[in-house]
Amino acid sequence: MSYASPLDEKLRPFSSEQIPQELFTKLREENLARWPTGAEVDLDEAVYYHQSLPDHKRLPWVLRQAEAEGRCLTQPRGGFGTLELQIELMKALDKEGLADVVPTTTDSYTRNERWDQAETGIAESEKEGRSMLNGFPMVNYGPRRTRKLIEAINKPGIVLSGTSMPRLTGEVGYAAGFTGYLGSGLAYVTSYTKEMTIEEAIRNYQYLDRLVALYQDKGVELHRRQPGFLTGTNIPPSIAIITCVIDALLAAAQGVKSYGLEMGQTLHLIQDAAAIRACKELAQEYLQRAGYDDVSTPVISLHWMGAWPQDEAQCAALVSYGGTLAAIGGAASVTTKSTHEAFGIPTPQANAESLRTTRMAVYLARQIRMDDHPEFLKEVDLIKREVRPILDRTLEIGEGDIAVGTVRACEAGIVDIPWSPNRYIKSRVMPARDADGYLRILDPGDMPFDKQVLEIHTERLHARAEREGVPFDRELAVSSVYEISEPLSRLVKGPSKDDKQPTVTS
Amino acid sequence: MTPPPERVKRTLVTGVIGSDTHIVGNRILSMALEDAGYHVVTLGALTPAEDFIKAAIETAADGIMVSSLYGQGELDCRGFRDLCVEAGLQDILLYVGGNLVVGKQDWGDVEQRFLKMGFDRAFPPGTRANEVIQLLDEDFSKRNSGVGAAGQ
Repeated sequence: MSYASPLDEKLRPFSSEQIPQELFTKLREENLARWPTGAEVDLDEAVYYHQSLPDHKRLPWVLRQAEAEGRCLTQPRGGFGTLELQIELMKALDKEGLADVVPTTTDSYTRNERWDQAETGIAESEKEGRSMLNGFPMVNYGPRRTRKLIEAINKPGIVLSGTSMPRLTGEVGYAAGFTGYLGSGLAYVTSYTKEMTIEEAIRNYQYLDRLVALYQDKGVELHRRQPGFLTGTNIPPSIAIITCVIDALLAAAQGVKSYGLEMGQTLHLIQDAAAIRACKELAQEYLQRAGYDDVSTPVISLHWMGAWPQDEAQCAALVSYGGTLAAIGGAASVTTKSTHEAFGIPTPQANAESLRTTRMAVYLARQIRMDDHPEFLKEVDLIKREVRPILDRTLEIGEGDIAVGTVRACEAGIVDIPWSPNRYIKSRVMPARDADGYLRILDPGDMPFDKQVLEIHTERLHARAEREGVPFDRELAVSSVYEISEPLSRLVKGPSKDDKQPTVTS
Repeated sequence: MTPPPERVKRTLVTGVIGSDTHIVGNRILSMALEDAGYHVVTLGALTPAEDFIKAAIETAADGIMVSSLYGQGELDCRGFRDLCVEAGLQDILLYVGGNLVVGKQDWGDVEQRFLKMGFDRAFPPGTRANEVIQLLDEDFSKRNSGVGAAGQ
């Protein structure tokens, strides 16, 4: 069984080259026929609708403005199972939460293209009067009814659909008037799938990126975004950036011009600022080297993507600090979580409240930046030294083709992702937090990092092991997985007779 | 350190049940079980109930360790013990752990629900691997001495 379009696999040799117009027309026909609402997608009508939107409802424009003004936008996540509930949610996020970008998260059935099951989920939700789905089944509602969501808000809308099968949801979302879509070939296949190949996932996102280029040809600029958070579990900045650059190169090859890069927060002020800076610069460096000098790549900082504490007060600290980290790091936008994170989907009110908490933190960060801080500059340099050999090797073994190179690099473990469920990812690389709270690489697996760079990581992690009086082994990585979700009583000890200073353990 | 010979003889199947991709806790558990000396068959994320049973039969496993983090574990685990019995695995040790239900619910209630479903033990989120290993040792030694598994 293939997770990509059989027609695409039959007619197009796998490469990063732009899908030819004629073939893409065929692929669209095949795709739109997969569910009845596909027939409602009318590209010319959608173009006309997009052109009628004011600038402040277009995500590429809003992001460009934010970058030009040095502002950090706020954007939550959120999706409910019926149109009525979703309209209410989006209005609450827009008005009560003051969100700058308003999301629609799709449900798990939609993400897995189980539209028949989503249909049942809608009926059940309507019967129960509450959402029985963990998101909005956009394909089932189709572009015409989904457009009611865009009409209900006065901000740009973005589709959040954690899937490696975005082809029909993407068609529906953009046709409905959403101006942004989160997801990418390499990143999502490593975080959300087990059996899907890297090639199938890249093909699926090449379709979506090609669709955006088609809109672009007709004068409509749309935003695409890469989910660099990957498995959300202690991803060191360099690994996130490697995937950001690869997916950006793949998107640019299809013709995308506005491509956001997401960086999950490490929760270390200096490392997060350095990650945002390095991501920005490396993405532009590699894009320009490949001949793309007109792709804008705003960096988006994400609230903590690992396990959250059960205590809402502790969560409030992560929400607020996350705003600080994004703003001081110079991100164009911050994607928020809420104090309900440990218990699942937040109420619209809790979601809106966390948005305002974040917004206040962004305000308080004012124009404070790390720019000349020596530790910051050192970290930016270190991250770049980590990223370059991996990307260069990936391009090299692809013989110039980034799509081919990526598949081969994953196979060889040159590109590797910690804690991935996907069987085509080696997942041997192992991160851990060091004594100062930076995320470091404990075990590089087969990733060809520079030896001197690895020595820095090893030395920092040894320092932690020594400080805690524990062996230098895998347990350093395991305890780092749980650390942030631990109760305060375990994280911060009060003063004792032997030790007057509070000690932090992880 | 050489693991106790008791563990070396034992095979355990691990995996994350249903449409759930949350692999981290399950992988940590699998690594710890291996380190402790068990023979571990790791099925990974997104594993249907039937695949656990199939793997247990193929490897003549002594226990199945089911993880679930996304809230739908209660649906996914219904009838799991029956499937084992039908496959002739009536005596296999069944553990389940994670975020087993939707939203915030009393752990005592949740635990009882899963024990009634035929699991020998159920574990809340945040359980450490060494705690599980200790209980495995206890449960297997009880079996060796002819006493039934805890919770049954």
